[in-house]
Amino acid sequence: MIDLAANLLWMFLVVIGGVLISWSVHFVPVGGAPAAMAQATGIGTGTVQLAAGAGLTGLISAGYTMQVVDNLPLILASGTVGAMIMISVTMIVGTWVYVYGVGCVPSSAKVKVDPITHDRQDLYVSQGTEGHGLPTVSFVSGVIGGALGGFGGSLVYYALLKVGMGVAEVDANMIGLVAIFAVGIFFVNAVIPSYNIGGTIEGFHDPKWKKWPKAVISSFVATIFCALVAVIAISQLGGL
Amino acid sequence: MEPLISMGVLALMGVAATIAGASEDLESDVGSQSNPNSQVQLAPQMMFPHRIYNKAVSGEPPSNALMCAIGATGAVVLMGEFNLSPLFALVIGALIAACVHGTFAMTSTMGRAASQSRFKQPVYLDMIRSHTPVIMAYAFITTFCVLIISYMMNVVLGHPFPLPLLAFIWGITIGAIGSSTGDVHYGAEREFQQFEFGSGLNASNSGNIVRFGESGLRNGYDNSWFCAKFGGPVTGIAFGMTVFLGSWITTVFDPAVSITRGWLSAVAGVIIVFILIIWNRKIEVAARNNYGPYKEDKPEEEAAA
Repeated sequence: MIDLAANLLWMFLVVIGGVLISWSVHFVPVGGAPAAMAQATGIGTGTVQLAAGAGLTGLISAGYTMQVVDNLPLILASGTVGAMIMISVTMIVGTWVYVYGVGCVPSSAKVKVDPITHDRQDLYVSQGTEGHGLPTVSFVSGVIGGALGGFGGSLVYYALLKVGMGVAEVDANMIGLVAIFAVGIFFVNAVIPSYNIGGTIEGFHDPKWKKWPKAVISSFVATIFCALVAVIAISQLGGL
Repeated sequence: MEPLISMGVLALMGVAATIAGASEDLESDVGSQSNPNSQVQLAPQMMFPHRIYNKAVSGEPPSNALMCAIGATGAVVLMGEFNLSPLFALVIGALIAACVHGTFAMTSTMGRAASQSRFKQPVYLDMIRSHTPVIMAYAFITTFCVLIISYMMNVVLGHPFPLPLLAFIWGITIGAIGSSTGDVHYGAEREFQQFEFGSGLNASNSGNIVRFGESGLRNGYDNSWFCAKFGGPVTGIAFGMTVFLGSWITTVFDPAVSITRGWLSAVAGVIIVFILIIWNRKIEVAARNNYGPYKEDKPEEEAAA
């Protein structure tokens, strides 16, 4: 017998985590294929890929911390910090490549001045491109995105592991099952915002960022179903 | 565990990660994968047939995650069922993954080249024969190093995730990093060297990739030779830094010792991130000053007139 009512709190946390992941993706400055050719501002990779790379690195940190302490704020903090480190290291090395390897100035084509540093942007955009590299505002936005993604991913993992703890002893099988569900829910919620972003977004100063409520509502609905399936599966298979 | 031993393990993981990052990027350069491959794919349609390997198995993160997960699953089976020593098991696991990757690479490049026959794109069988072993070799190095990192995290540092899952997640991460950093050097610089340095890629030049090498037609070897000078090593540094810094904060401030230590590790991580934000700003300012504005700033009324 699966007791869904007893797991309502954990399902709620899973949904909150999923919504946070969906929101986080809007902050990550990705330029897709055009950015890889220094043709658009942002990191030269896909939305889902970078958000997942950062968030799952956070999941590794959170998984380690959850093994040694049972303190929700600390577990969430370690997931957040792990994701922030991955994304900022990726962005700083990306900046090396754009500035030293490709020789272009980090600049945005969506705004005239950088909202954080108040530097002019339009004068530094090369002809025929929509900006290139990572200006400070995009970098900061990326760090925020990584942090939210890591936070959401860790919350999902924590909540699902608590569901598992209610069924059986925690062992390697249980942790594997829970982590796979956490990764799966992460991917579902990282894909939904891509329809808003459509390949490129520069960060929270980009006009596309304002579309986030649509993705967040869709993620809310999708994650409820994911949470249901996850709780049923973990309750049944947790004790393997 | 003794702090010194865990620091040693951490250093070894950092080294393995650096090698893995570099070989991951060069693997995607010699075979042309990920976002820059969109131009290789576009070129024949713009009447620029070429002799560059065209394998976009998938985005780099999923393809690397697949490789690493296959390798780790093979290694776990060999260690668990056949009691093989970990070193042999990891090598054989990585070998299986490299073979699977070679199969994918070959089928995707043949399919892509053949489907572009209407644009007079030839299928160079000799190029496929010579490049596929190189792609497999790089894939082997990447997978083996990621397996070493995952194995040490799992067995020595006591991470609770099973080995295949750790390898899967590190595979996603290494692919995301490789596709964000080193590939830009290949896509934005090496593919378009005929245009002025620092001009970015004008949208009207899309598909017009460099097709001639120092001698004869340019191929994947030439691209990996160039990217091995900058794109590959910086990708290695990026993945090495991610693995090292991510684990360093919890090794120095171990949450297992006390909760306060755990919070200190989070604070240390945030300080690292702030340093990186400031560093990015310094590079941005230096680039703005050195490369200068590309357009003149016209006063508002003049621009309106």
